Amino acid sequence: MAAGFKTAEPLEYHRSFLKENCRPDGRELFDFRTTTLNIGSISTADGSALVKMGNTTIICGIKAELANPTVEAPDKGYIVPNVDLPPLCSSRFRPGPPGEQAQAASQFIADVIESSEVIKTEDLCIERGKLCWVLYCDMMCLDYDGNILDACIIALLAALKNTQLPEITINQETCTPEVNLEKRHGLHIHKHPVGASFCVFDHSILIVDPTAEEEVLSTAQLTVVTDEEDRLCSVHKPGGTSLSGEKLQECISRATVRQREIQKLIDKVILSVKTMH
Amino acid sequence: MMEVCGSSNVTLREFGCEQSLLSRPDGSASFVQGDTSVMAGVYGPAEVKVSKEIYDRATLEVLIQPKVGLPSVRERSQEQCVRETCEAALQLSLHPRSSLTLILQLLHDDGSLLSCYLNAACMALMDAGLPMNCLFCGVTCAINKEGEIITDPTAAQEKESRALMTFAIDSTERRVMMSSTKGSFSVHEMQRCIAVSQKASEKIFQFYRDSVRRRYSKTL
Amino acid sequence: MPTDNKRVRGPEVSQNPSLFRCKPAEAVPLHGPRADGRQRDQVDVRPVFVRCGLVSQAKGSAYIEAGNTKLMCCVYGPKETERKDETDMKCGRLTTDMRFAPFSCLERGSWIQGSQDKDFSLMLQESLQPALCLHKYPRSQVEVNVVVLENSGSVLAHAITCASLALADAGIEMYDLVLGCSIRQDGDSYVVDPSYMEENNSSSVSSENQGGLTVAFLPSLNQISGLQSDGAMTEETLTAGVRTCTEGCYKLYPVIQQALAKAVRKGAPPPSES
Repeated sequence: MAAGFKTAEPLEYHRSFLKENCRPDGRELFDFRTTTLNIGSISTADGSALVKMGNTTIICGIKAELANPTVEAPDKGYIVPNVDLPPLCSSRFRPGPPGEQAQAASQFIADVIESSEVIKTEDLCIERGKLCWVLYCDMMCLDYDGNILDACIIALLAALKNTQLPEITINQETCTPEVNLEKRHGLHIHKHPVGASFCVFDHSILIVDPTAEEEVLSTAQLTVVTDEEDRLCSVHKPGGTSLSGEKLQECISRATVRQREIQKLIDKVILSVKTMH
Repeated sequence: MMEVCGSSNVTLREFGCEQSLLSRPDGSASFVQGDTSVMAGVYGPAEVKVSKEIYDRATLEVLIQPKVGLPSVRERSQEQCVRETCEAALQLSLHPRSSLTLILQLLHDDGSLLSCYLNAACMALMDAGLPMNCLFCGVTCAINKEGEIITDPTAAQEKESRALMTFAIDSTERRVMMSSTKGSFSVHEMQRCIAVSQKASEKIFQFYRDSVRRRYSKTL
Repeated sequence: MPTDNKRVRGPEVSQNPSLFRCKPAEAVPLHGPRADGRQRDQVDVRPVFVRCGLVSQAKGSAYIEAGNTKLMCCVYGPKETERKDETDMKCGRLTTDMRFAPFSCLERGSWIQGSQDKDFSLMLQESLQPALCLHKYPRSQVEVNVVVLENSGSVLAHAITCASLALADAGIEMYDLVLGCSIRQDGDSYVVDPSYMEENNSSSVSSENQGGLTVAFLPSLNQISGLQSDGAMTEETLTAGVRTCTEGCYKLYPVIQQALAKAVRKGAPPPSES
């Protein structure tokens, strides 16, 4: 009976839960799903992390390559983030080049990296005007159950913290780089941006960490990204029904709490990996 | 059709707007903010492709064309912002199983581009005579190194700023429909920017009213 | 080269740092035990870890890990065929898509599917098709999507195993499971379930009997549904190789059966009270 109700009237089904201040999966309105993190599982990548938020699964692999810096910014390297939503993760995505959602997500992640200064591109410079690192950060969704933006940011941050770049020196005689793959060092992570996404139901009810079903039924979505100093790195609301300043403030407060939780989780997982070796 | 929007505390550049300037689309508008200029055209409601059909409302597509070259990921993200804002403003359920296409052509970019896209989109939708819940306008605020808020910044001011925010404000309750930000800033700074944007929106809506009035005074 | 405007782009060219390594890479030993301690010339497959039903959105899914090779497969369908012109009134269609994550290989892969991915997709489809009862799904299609998360050799063989497991998990009717196994022949000796290094290390001077072989095998019917070989091998070597591969498949069989039984037990409704 309940299953039939859910299929025929999904919006009414969700409303009946929201009326009681809870959600079909048993969460309260401002509860996140259980978040688990696994780092360094891909040995072919220079850094990697797998994040699960409920069913949503994102894997991020970072590959470092060498390139020439641009003429406009001779002392800067490159960070190239891309989000991939393959047909594997949900039946809503088609094979072929990335769709609008994947492209918008890639741009959002690129903006978050730039705004938060999680890594300074100057740190990736090896020799001014000649050689720099390119960090290809590929985030692939393996299971799409809503809120991929939050999961992507966590996966990216954890993978960056896991990244070990090989030592590189420039031979003065031949002017060629020499790479020592055995000796590696980590990246300097300046900030820890973490996102919190919200959905607006019926123009007024706010819920956090929406599932794929909730995303479809909602009238607006909002993602707030904050760092450890409580500064906002992004307030991204691509449209939808309007929101008052007070509601926005509620979201920001929840996002700052979330930032603490996730930073603690990442630190814990990194420590446990270190002690294992 | 030019109008000066100088005032006491919220300063906007010179705004200009012309509606129905194209003959082929069902609605069109050009919008000028200082040197930033955008042309918009709306087609529809028309027949929709089966794959894109939505059974209870119209399908809205937004296409942003840069000055040269093909649209990139950045344009795609702006398209998403404009589309979802328009979707909330339009009464799409009045045209089920049909398509609406909004094309935004960039003519010149001198800062506050996303807000200019939004303003052009709103004027073009109005010109097409599509039923809407409310109007909306776009306001860009830049926070410079000294912590001052500059509304409707030029490209040079954008470059020097440490944070940039664009909001879409609706005409009924003056609330935030869309938000897109760059750079890092404090909560207090954002609240100030929203307040400034709300104030600026009054002026922009007044400008909307004036330019529409002027247009119809001619035809009547 | 056409520019990709659907992704965040980096510099025009970039190079893998291993091209500039100061010390040359260690060569793979050609005799004696293999780098990972397994035995040469014996059916010594890597221990596999398999799990079914990981992806919530898919009808059926499977994950396989053999050594460092990590693969995931999802099955969607049966659903209406997308391309109306290809609708078959009598028989269903099987579509396969196999791709490598950009970070899955030592060399960073490009985003755009290469010809290798397409070859693998086709091989996968041809190996799986004979095992499926597609006539039970007229006018519909079954989609198989494989993503390689880490490539440490024998990708195609493991993709076949993983895909058949995901198909079984999705409840698609099949005659039998399909298991994959590959070998690498190098002169007189061979290695079963080769690693990435062993696959790409054509070493010895003698060009006789150099090649790779992948076999897709239906274990309970004792039939071969797919065979792919490259390089040059004598007839005897090839037939011996096929035999070795089927032996390798039989080694995998109990592990796959267990994983499937576990998934069925988990998914089965509790026994009714009556």
